[in-house]
Amino acid sequence: MRRRHLLAGLASVGVLGGAGAVATGGVPNALGGEEAPEPIEPVTLDTVDAPGSRDGEVTIPAPDRPTFVDFFGTWCPPCAEQMPALAAAHDRIGDEVLFVSVTTEPVGGAVSEETIVDWWTKHGGDWLVAADVTAVLAARLNVGKYPSARAIDASGRVRWATSGTHTAEEFVEGIRRAIDR
Amino acid sequence: MDRRHFLRSLAATGAAAGATATAGCAGVIGDTGLLGDDGTVLGPPEQTRGDPVHPIHGDEMPEFSVPDPISGEEISTAQFEGERAFLWTSFYTSCPDGVCPALILRLRRAQEVAAEQGFGDEAAFLPLTFDPERDTAEVLREYAARRGVDLDAGNWHFLRPESYEAGKELMMENFGLKIEKYPDENDQYENLEYTFPHYGLILLVNKRGIVERAYPRGPATDVERIVGDFRRVVTA
Repeated sequence: MRRRHLLAGLASVGVLGGAGAVATGGVPNALGGEEAPEPIEPVTLDTVDAPGSRDGEVTIPAPDRPTFVDFFGTWCPPCAEQMPALAAAHDRIGDEVLFVSVTTEPVGGAVSEETIVDWWTKHGGDWLVAADVTAVLAARLNVGKYPSARAIDASGRVRWATSGTHTAEEFVEGIRRAIDR
Repeated sequence: MDRRHFLRSLAATGAAAGATATAGCAGVIGDTGLLGDDGTVLGPPEQTRGDPVHPIHGDEMPEFSVPDPISGEEISTAQFEGERAFLWTSFYTSCPDGVCPALILRLRRAQEVAAEQGFGDEAAFLPLTFDPERDTAEVLREYAARRGVDLDAGNWHFLRPESYEAGKELMMENFGLKIEKYPDENDQYENLEYTFPHYGLILLVNKRGIVERAYPRGPATDVERIVGDFRRVVTA
């Protein structure tokens, strides 16, 4: 782990010496701070017919309750690694929020829906999964590294923004920040 | 080429002659005369940025040519002058820590918005790999497909230097960015012999070949800010 952090630090510090805000496992980035963030304008995405999910649509952030979004890609090994932690967090707190995983892959285009379903099934996904094929939601939520997660309160404001893998406990804590608002 | 040098000299003209130079240029390129004296659409960035080697604002984009292995063309950073504004970044497909996907996501979202809003033909996207040994045409094509990049739009060119050494030299000479192979001795990353810790720079270059913005922490920069700046520059 130490090495990984070193590398991430190098990548973000770079030649000019930038802030370490994008370090892996990172704490809230630009979205941190005390000032109240602006609400995120909702986006409607197609959902994928997979275990725990269904073929349809989902609006993110949800208009009437907190939302938790995990951004993943089937090409992303750490995204697969953290699926058990996400599953545990979903078991504990999934009823209190809209809990959804979102891929920015071109599902239905160059990446088949079957690819997503196979990955999802293999890694124990059992909740809503949606496709952000134009990356519009990823842009609104300013996704950096993968995986990335956002916990958004019922008024559409981001209360927890993170990237890198996390434990179930960390996910639950992060999600609570959006629920407790 | 002559044209580029002509534009360069105009861009270098001082403030006194600025108005004339801009008007002359506007005539040449047929733009709407919204450019400032230094040839940019956007004003200077709010943050001061020290004195890095790479261009930041109002400087010319360094000129270099690199093959696009997918189309087989040789792409020059100067060939878009008068026609397209572009976003440039550097990356490699095996990038393990998520910096590169974040960079590519920003270019890809800009490509999407350009298509939706009808300015795709005035835009170009130029991600340069500094790992040509692993990033072959086939690998790049697959990478693009899986990340939603539209290679058929004709505005996306992966730049693949002839060799690792050539890419390393290009990055140092043009941007002062040092690329180094970092052996993965502790097997931190599965199946990766080496990685390249690097600086997540994105450059926004206008239709006159002048850098409008350098986003030094590209992976952490607001996607919508980059896309919004790009739209302003392209459609100015």
